Amino acid sequence: MTMRLRLPSCPGIGTLARRALCLGVVAGLVLFVLPEALWAAQGGAPAVENGVRTFFGLSPRATIWVVAQLHLLFAAFVLGVPIFAVIVEFIGWRTGDQRYDRMAREFVKLLTVAFATTAALGGLLAFTLFGLYPAFSGYFISIFSPSLFIYAAFFFVETGILYSYYYSWDRLADRKGFHIALGVLLNLAGTILVFISNAWASYMMSPTGVDETGTFVGTTMQAVANPLWMPLNIHRLLGNVAFGGFLVGAYAAVKFLAARTEARRAHYDWMGYVGNFIGLAALIPLPFAGYYLGREIYSASPVMGNNMMGGAFSWTFILQGLLVGLLFMIGNYYLWSGMNRIPGAERYQRFVKYFNVILIVCVAIWLTPRNLPLSAEEQLALGGQVHPLLGYFGLMAAKNAVINLIILTTFASFLLYRRANKTDLVPLSEQGGAAKLVLVLSGGLCLVLLGWYASVLFTLPPESVGLGPEGAVFIRIPAFLLVATMLAVVLCVGLALRDRGHLAQVIYVATVALAAVGFLGVYGFVVMVQANPLLRQVAATQWLILMSGLILVTAIDVLLFRGARSLGAIRWGEVTARSQYALIALCVTTVLTMGLMGFVRSGLREGWHIYGVLRDTSEWGFTPTTAVMTQMVGGITLVFLAAVSFLFWLSGLNDPEDVIPRADNPLGPVLDPAGQPTAGEGP
Amino acid sequence: MAPFKILAFTVVLIGLFIWSGNGITRVSGEGSPLALGEGLSVENGEQIFWGPGKCSTCHSIGSRGSSVRGPNLGQSDVGPIIAVRAEERGRAREGDLGRTLTATEYLIESVTRPSAYVVDGFKDEMPTVYEPPISLGPDQLGSVILYLQTLGGVPDPASIVLPAEVRQAAGRVADVEAWAPYLDGDSVAGREIFFSLEGPTPCAKCHTVGGVGGDIGPDLSAVSGTRTAQFIVESILEPSAVIAGGYESVLIQTTGGRILDGVIRRETADSLWLVTADEVEYGIAVEGIARRRLQEISFMPGDFAGLISVTQFHDLLSYLRTLQ
Repeated sequence: MTMRLRLPSCPGIGTLARRALCLGVVAGLVLFVLPEALWAAQGGAPAVENGVRTFFGLSPRATIWVVAQLHLLFAAFVLGVPIFAVIVEFIGWRTGDQRYDRMAREFVKLLTVAFATTAALGGLLAFTLFGLYPAFSGYFISIFSPSLFIYAAFFFVETGILYSYYYSWDRLADRKGFHIALGVLLNLAGTILVFISNAWASYMMSPTGVDETGTFVGTTMQAVANPLWMPLNIHRLLGNVAFGGFLVGAYAAVKFLAARTEARRAHYDWMGYVGNFIGLAALIPLPFAGYYLGREIYSASPVMGNNMMGGAFSWTFILQGLLVGLLFMIGNYYLWSGMNRIPGAERYQRFVKYFNVILIVCVAIWLTPRNLPLSAEEQLALGGQVHPLLGYFGLMAAKNAVINLIILTTFASFLLYRRANKTDLVPLSEQGGAAKLVLVLSGGLCLVLLGWYASVLFTLPPESVGLGPEGAVFIRIPAFLLVATMLAVVLCVGLALRDRGHLAQVIYVATVALAAVGFLGVYGFVVMVQANPLLRQVAATQWLILMSGLILVTAIDVLLFRGARSLGAIRWGEVTARSQYALIALCVTTVLTMGLMGFVRSGLREGWHIYGVLRDTSEWGFTPTTAVMTQMVGGITLVFLAAVSFLFWLSGLNDPEDVIPRADNPLGPVLDPAGQPTAGEGP
Repeated sequence: MAPFKILAFTVVLIGLFIWSGNGITRVSGEGSPLALGEGLSVENGEQIFWGPGKCSTCHSIGSRGSSVRGPNLGQSDVGPIIAVRAEERGRAREGDLGRTLTATEYLIESVTRPSAYVVDGFKDEMPTVYEPPISLGPDQLGSVILYLQTLGGVPDPASIVLPAEVRQAAGRVADVEAWAPYLDGDSVAGREIFFSLEGPTPCAKCHTVGGVGGDIGPDLSAVSGTRTAQFIVESILEPSAVIAGGYESVLIQTTGGRILDGVIRRETADSLWLVTADEVEYGIAVEGIARRRLQEISFMPGDFAGLISVTQFHDLLSYLRTLQ
């Protein structure tokens, strides 16, 4: 038998109000009756044992895990989306395309709802810490209390700027630069907030200002500027941008799949593309930020570092490799699928399958483990503790090489997508001085980057990286390679200026592939055997060469196809449903990856609240199994996505039924990676 | 239908993630760590090696484990099984030290001062295992040595003498909050427990307060003025953790084969006087001593927790805290 709550019918109260009333009754029950019942069941205030209280008999660790992860995900949302929104608003301002402006506004409106939820979860996290971990909280506050007040102050500042930014959208429509400056200020306040909270999280992993008895003898600023603070800041900042992009992509995909009109499908198809573009663009440097963080963790504590990828947490990194590999593969699939709506794309579409083969092989290498618990029989079958050939793929040198190749391949996929409907190029020599100047400046930037690091390597004393005098030769080799790459930059800029842009692109992409992936990939193995501490300099060299490739080839590409004839406008909305599920998969995978890496970052401390200083002596001070971790992270992901979906739905309640594109240009120009509208787009 | 399809798709993706995690746990056999046993034992050593000691993060033993960062401690390319290898290495250390090391001394050196000798082909990256974050205590470290002794040899607890810094590190405990006893305790009742020679813990048999009591242990007349409450608690419950200077127990084997264990009360060039636990004093000629060794275990009984109730313990503690 089912029972239905019948609400009294009141004139003037609509369905929505009745639902809200019903929700209020349920919320009242949850807020007032449930705590009383739980309190009574608990039998009074729970006791503190080993510095920890239970949460109404439940595990305090699981409780703090759920609350902290949900808060971090929402925080990433309210920090990532403003970055996304300001970039998009800026593009809309510079291109004159109102769609970008409308999309930015749509997402800032979501922020106003999500902001309160994030703040509420932050408060809950603080209460949970104070209530369940009083000993830790006391120690923590004794060190960081000044920063708590600064945090609170910036929280108010951010709140003020957010509401000013949102509610002044129309009023400042004619002073767009000022409005965008407000958005930048919003991001600045958000960045300060995330940096402060990162100081707390990173201090727990690499405490500073502590004497040998574990007593804090330093200053709050010394605790803030601990060795992992800046690496974590960089990693989280980039991660938040990628997260914001993929979340927007998933939002657009859901709207696309539910759309009933072509106009809505076209709008949300375009929005999904922009979200994916920004997400993938931020994802590209993320592995390097992660590598930097990982190396610094190893430097801060070799025990923690070894435990990370060669100990109890090595399986989590295999899972991470799988998830990040999926992000790249799904992102490429989406681009390939999107070519179907671009006239002329059939010229390039066939190449994408080779890209996918490269990606699959690279991800497989990235996933290859080095330290597996094996039985004697398994080892016999494998031919040793590691496979005689495939075992090499488990080493860091191989992983560094393939991540460079993954990024280069994804970049190549973007290049094909960009040029899909373009033909009849305008030679650079006919494009005026500004275009040439842009090219020369891009080349100059590459030379500065590469030259700076070459000079660092040429002047690096071997003993400073733990090598003997004979180690100097190992340092000079990547330095000379950087110099050779600089010569290639000069050659390619020269070729591009002489209207041989395509050849310049091919030469420089080949140079990057040969230098960063081929030569330094193999050289990494040599270094691991003969000069192991130098591997991080090799990785930095690989990254800089790759970055120079992305900068220079993009600059050439933008100028190469500037003013090119279009074979037809992109048919926004004519995309498969599968491609939209790819966008949803990108978002889900991103949230899972964040949950997984949050577990790794926090779990690496193992039995310590503050690593090496304050031990967790409670019964929950152990590392859960991977199975438990995936169940927890999976559950949190589901709750987060459900909550975000609810917020999306809530914020869209008063939206007009349909999206109305601009009357004069319903579909607008197409965004290219440089943020410029391409000629000939739109009907 | 789209919302349901999207929900189902999302749930399937998350389900695959959870399924892969369950698969990993099945293959890798992870689990919650077992509680470590107390004291010095091979079993504890094995558990510490493959668990909280993190030795297995870098070392394998023969075909057990797969770590290659540090030398394999079983029969392998690096050499014979570790107990045998330790004997060879101990002899080879003469070049650096001017004397050979026993196999156990080599093992102790390798575990407590890993940078003293680094095996060719491996990096000098082993952490100090008795310092945070690994923080192995003296018994745990001794148990690991005992376990390594069994790998190709015979365990010999008596041969394990750990360097002083291991004990010093164990004495350093982070103070994160003001310490307070669980119960207030009755100092009058505590005084009775202290001086009652028929009671379960006749402290005055060995310790003096205000000139009353024995002198096998340190004078406690002003103990709370010179020691923290935590130190006193530890000294009662784990008397071997830190032994006061001059009150270390000494094991003496005479040339006649007699073995005596006690505290040296007085010593001259040709004789010494030793008081044993049953308060009998022996005078021994130095030339009659075949072997003499400082013990790591305190003379004081280590089973107070089983001898008195929690209330009695706090009464006793309350009394000791009045001794300023």
